[in-house]
Amino acid sequence: MTARATRDWFGEALVSAGAAHPRVAVVDCDLGSATKTGAFAEAFPDRYFQCGIAEANAIGVASGLAQEGMRPFVASFGHFLTGKFLEIFQSIGLNDTGVVLVGTHAGLAIGKDGPTQMGLRDLALMRTLPNMEILHPADGAETRQMVDYLAARERPAYLRLCRQPLAEVHDRPFRFVAGRPDIVRAGADIAVVTMGGMVRVVLDALPPLAEQGIRPSVVSLSSLPVDPDALRRVCGAHRTVFVVEDHYVTGGIADEVARALLELPHPPRFVGHGVRDYGQAAAPDELYARYRLDSRSIGEQIHALAAEIPVGALS
Amino acid sequence: MSGTMIPSQNRRSAAPGGSAQDEDLQQVEEASRRMRRLAMEMIHHAGSGHVGSSLSCVDIVAVLRFDQMRWSASPRERDVFVLSKGHAAPAWYSALIAGGDLDPDLVTELRQLDSPLQGHPDRTRCAFVDVSTGALGQGLSIALGRAQARRGDAADSHVYCLIGDGECQEGQVWEALLYAGARRVDNLTLIVDANGRQSDGLVDDTVSLGPLANKLAAFGWRVVEVDGHSHRELRAALSAARRNRGRPSAVIAHTTKGYLAPGRAALDGAHSGLLDADALDEAYELIGAAR
Repeated sequence: MTARATRDWFGEALVSAGAAHPRVAVVDCDLGSATKTGAFAEAFPDRYFQCGIAEANAIGVASGLAQEGMRPFVASFGHFLTGKFLEIFQSIGLNDTGVVLVGTHAGLAIGKDGPTQMGLRDLALMRTLPNMEILHPADGAETRQMVDYLAARERPAYLRLCRQPLAEVHDRPFRFVAGRPDIVRAGADIAVVTMGGMVRVVLDALPPLAEQGIRPSVVSLSSLPVDPDALRRVCGAHRTVFVVEDHYVTGGIADEVARALLELPHPPRFVGHGVRDYGQAAAPDELYARYRLDSRSIGEQIHALAAEIPVGALS
Repeated sequence: MSGTMIPSQNRRSAAPGGSAQDEDLQQVEEASRRMRRLAMEMIHHAGSGHVGSSLSCVDIVAVLRFDQMRWSASPRERDVFVLSKGHAAPAWYSALIAGGDLDPDLVTELRQLDSPLQGHPDRTRCAFVDVSTGALGQGLSIALGRAQARRGDAADSHVYCLIGDGECQEGQVWEALLYAGARRVDNLTLIVDANGRQSDGLVDDTVSLGPLANKLAAFGWRVVEVDGHSHRELRAALSAARRNRGRPSAVIAHTTKGYLAPGRAALDGAHSGLLDADALDEAYELIGAAR
């Protein structure tokens, strides 16, 4: 299947969800062309609310629509949307209203526009809200299922989407289950835990490693909160857990995984890898290479972690 | 009934009453007296709260709850009320108690652990709170969403949003004002409790709003200014706002922070603070309401 960005899959899935659920609505912040809500706006003009470049108001309007029984998806760049944290905290979180915040352009992938547009700390903010469900699909199959899942629910949620085209990571049939760590590849010794666009990147790092007998498991943490027991079961079966995220290395899934693992009597070795500064402007490929979040760099890091495991102990 | 019996009718409502319409305002008048007393009792029991901000909007809330709003115990069947200036929660809670929606014993429960009467309104804890508020500037946006979702509903329901004048310094308020005007959301009425004061002092000395009515009009709103302690003026303005079509309506209600009676304000109009026992007794006497 041709590689496509999850935001593109989202735009299509939203139209299907709109047809299946009359209460699904879209609240836009003048970024419909980037967040791919245009098809929905055309199909369901009565359920499309253009709020312009005013995210705080959009969040409030969406909260009001949800309180009246609608299921609004508010779409903008994740960085802009979650920048209105006080508004999300109160108008959506504390009000416990069923708004889906759709934050696109996750991670470094926006490239040359630089750190003022990069969704690098959105997870950290959304993770603090006790009733906020977070979903970050890795491919088209998962995006479609997540949109269907969200359309039928009534609680606050954050859907994190990628700008960069991604090849499918799931072999069919795949079934999304909220909170369940998704074992995309079952391997041994090392568990690479990641999410969203990085799942494909990690998978692409595997073939050269396999030639050297290194076959890590790859786990996609595509929804939070994650079932901690399931996460401990998956990770606890490995010697080393390596978390890779297209996000600041603080506040994201490394923290989520580490918290769960520290409750094990004998936690595995733990290494977290993500962005450690504010990011900068450059072509996406250059950025991912610089921040060691491209397949080659990740392969090197996995290789180094495998080298720490005593000779003969590799399964 | 003569105008002199209505302490809240002061400078602008000189014409004495007497029409059948004014007779109905007797209920609002009694409710507002009781509400003032309840709000003060609540804050006294809590040991903290915003006396001035609550008392400035008691008359507005009384006219809404007891005269203008379509009321029902079921949230789907009643009009919506958004108290964007959430720190005035005691004004709303007192209306709910005075109207028989909440148990009068709750007067001792404001700001207590697990109470439905949180320090700022919380819809997840109190069935008669439509929107949780507290951090200022967010209520009008939510009110707009609710109004847009209710547009053209069979019940012809209405959404009311009460904000403070100091609150208008929040940028989101202007995003919402702009949006409402552009979308011509006409099943919504904004009421500005213009008491002229905010936490650090006078609004004019802090960041003046300038000619607020002109600004709202320029944003596409129909604007009326009234004496916010005159039930008759409030009724006239709010009824007209509800009938108004094609534009959102705003009522700028000029009020006195801590208003007890003409020329008398609790704590001299301070934003917050507590009355001592003597001041409380004096206030209850001025209000002239039994529990």
